[in-house]
Amino acid sequence: MRRKSVSYAKYGYIFSIPFVLAYLVFSLYPTIYTTIIGFTDLKGLTKTDWKFLSDPFQNFEQILKNPSFITSTKNTAIIWIINFIPQILLALLLTAWFTSSRRHIKGQGAFKVILYMPNIITAATVAILFNALFGYPTGPANDIIQSLGLSKDPIYFLNEKWTAKLIVSFIQCWQWYGYTMLILISGVLGINPELFEAAEMDGASGSKAFFKITIPSLRPIMLYMLVTSLIGGLNMFDIPKLFVMNSGPDNATLTASVFIYNQAFSGSYMYNRAAAASMILFVVIAILSGILFYSMRDRSAAKLRKEEKRRIKAYNESNKMAARRAEI
Amino acid sequence: MKRILSVLLVVMMLATVAFTGCGKATTTDQAASTAAAPAESSAPAAEASSAAAEPAQAPAVTDDPSIKVLNLWSFTDEVPKMIDKYKAAHPDFPYEVKTTIIATTDGAYQPALDQALAAGGADAPDIYTAEAAFVLKYTQGDAYKYAAAYKDLGIDVDNALKAAEIAPYVSDIGTNPDGNLIGLAYQATGGAYIYRRSIAKAVWGTDDPAVIKDKVGPGWDKFFAAAAELKAKGYGIVSGDGDIWHSIENSSEKGWIVDGKLYLDPKREEFLDLSKKLKDGGFHNDTQDWQDAWYADMKGAGKQQIFGFFGPAWLINYVMAGNSGGTKPGEGTYGDWAICEPTVGFSWGGTWILGNKDTKLKKTVGDIINWITLDTSDTGLSYMWANGTFSIPEGKTVGTKDTVASGTVMKKSDGKLDFLGNQNMFDVFVPAGASATGKNKTQYDESINTIWRDQVRQYTAGKKSRDQAIADFKQQVADNLGIAVD
Repeated sequence: MRRKSVSYAKYGYIFSIPFVLAYLVFSLYPTIYTTIIGFTDLKGLTKTDWKFLSDPFQNFEQILKNPSFITSTKNTAIIWIINFIPQILLALLLTAWFTSSRRHIKGQGAFKVILYMPNIITAATVAILFNALFGYPTGPANDIIQSLGLSKDPIYFLNEKWTAKLIVSFIQCWQWYGYTMLILISGVLGINPELFEAAEMDGASGSKAFFKITIPSLRPIMLYMLVTSLIGGLNMFDIPKLFVMNSGPDNATLTASVFIYNQAFSGSYMYNRAAAASMILFVVIAILSGILFYSMRDRSAAKLRKEEKRRIKAYNESNKMAARRAEI
Repeated sequence: MKRILSVLLVVMMLATVAFTGCGKATTTDQAASTAAAPAESSAPAAEASSAAAEPAQAPAVTDDPSIKVLNLWSFTDEVPKMIDKYKAAHPDFPYEVKTTIIATTDGAYQPALDQALAAGGADAPDIYTAEAAFVLKYTQGDAYKYAAAYKDLGIDVDNALKAAEIAPYVSDIGTNPDGNLIGLAYQATGGAYIYRRSIAKAVWGTDDPAVIKDKVGPGWDKFFAAAAELKAKGYGIVSGDGDIWHSIENSSEKGWIVDGKLYLDPKREEFLDLSKKLKDGGFHNDTQDWQDAWYADMKGAGKQQIFGFFGPAWLINYVMAGNSGGTKPGEGTYGDWAICEPTVGFSWGGTWILGNKDTKLKKTVGDIINWITLDTSDTGLSYMWANGTFSIPEGKTVGTKDTVASGTVMKKSDGKLDFLGNQNMFDVFVPAGASATGKNKTQYDESINTIWRDQVRQYTAGKKSRDQAIADFKQQVADNLGIAVD
């Protein structure tokens, strides 16, 4: 009798049980619950019973018409863009330096750790730190500006719409460029080194190799970066919430997530509207991610696949023709 | 090494899941037994925890002997320290006190407390506290149903209130819509104007409170006249517009909500103009309360020296003393202060103590609350709190003193402070309690105040017109809180 081979697959399932359970309880269930209460009248702290609204989209309508919600989505987009562009450029530059075969930077490990450090500090600490730095009427930032003679009067950074937005963007950028850099470096290390060797032999300069080999080969990693950063950016909550007291000067740093939080927890407990706003945000993120995936898809690979399909079709067709001919 | 690490991670992950699983299970168990509580409470649990002053007429209540932990939620360590003191005074106190402290900064305390109360179970708070800015939510608003009536905790409310002469506004705020008392504060928080003696002498030649009170008030016109005199000598009258805001907010006739709609009290609306006047005249250092620059003004380290602050006794003890740059007269601004009647009468802050209606430790919770708020004896908290014998710092003979809600205790207490140049602060603060009221508060105060003060800052900084600031304020309240506005 032949011995049955051992199946290792079941261990895979066993080991994934904790995650699946945690996901079902802490992620999937709340998501479904949120979707449902967006269509109900659930409002108020001690209330637990709810019924569906006669006009199921009433909450969604109210949110879309809410001027603060519109401001919050604009703010979110602006803050994310101001933070992401310098962040990815800086990360790319550092990646190019750290992975260059010509420059052997000493103490790379130490640099990577130091650059990654801001990401480890909790948002609450960062918020307090920057709050102190940009204090008014006296604070380190104002001291520097005044002693350099850039401004006679102290600047109320957190009471000016644009400085508040810029500082929040800067904090985001400063917190995340190290992480982005690490991901990009791992992406570069995954590129076949023969490509670089060949380029070097053909006399390509460092910058040429970077733009013609590194960047195109990083496309999947870049897509990953973009999508995760987009999702993270549109959900931005902790720094805007903690740094400038809820919504900043005149709602200047009110992000969509802070808006949602305010709907639910700032006093009126409008869980239904908060849920509706969350669903709207979810749809927006899904659409934007879809657009990113589509525009960043590997065009040559898609072309290759098409070509292959066409060839197979042609081959099948010719086979059929041959068979038919044989019949005749 | 890597293998050990990964094994460790897996173990930790499994443990987390396992524990959350357990947590869930106990919660349900607890919920089940809560449902069965009425049956249990009638059981003759012979639990004599202490010999605190227990009113004889009070209905007998008992603790569930199977419970070993008392959960306490608060937003500072003040009440937790009181309970430590209570435990020290009662060596046979049988419970472990599990304390959860979440600061009110950024509105973090309320959502967490709300969830803990709504979830119930073994981890639900037995005793919790609420600050004046949001106490109405827990005593009369959305969350009042979580609180136990004091009389159900074995406290003889009517007699004890009379005996302790509790300030009426304190018990008004703590009375729920069903007419039961569910919360009391241990402090009285009537406010005064707290000023620098040296600056008073430099400007007016005297630091006598009787003279200074006529300079800074009554009424804002006199206040600004004084501000101009101070400015002429290079002093600011207050640190920032937050200082006058607290006295304006708490002296206005009506709160933010009237008949379910947003209401802008004329006195609160006037804050726009007063704040603008302060800023345009350079009468303050343009600080924001609770920020570094505000604290710096307490030791005179700001752009211009600041003459004074508006505040109750707790501001002196817990904020100003620690930020005066000294610990005894002669150091920093310590000892250079005095208090007088404020420009307008007001009250600010206060901590109300509530018991959970589902607590299984009704007797102990009742005893502790009674000791903190209603016990007027020399060993009760109020007396120690007022006379600075609650905690005496090393090298001192007396600790910080504070005004308390019990008139009986105030009458036999002494409020002399070396921080105030040995002025007896109770002479000013006790009458100030009369202007305290619970009628101008709503459960939305914290959120609406934040929005209002932001818009006022926009206006005073010259970023928008007065009408625009009011319009934007109303819009933001409607957007964020769903409250009807005109």
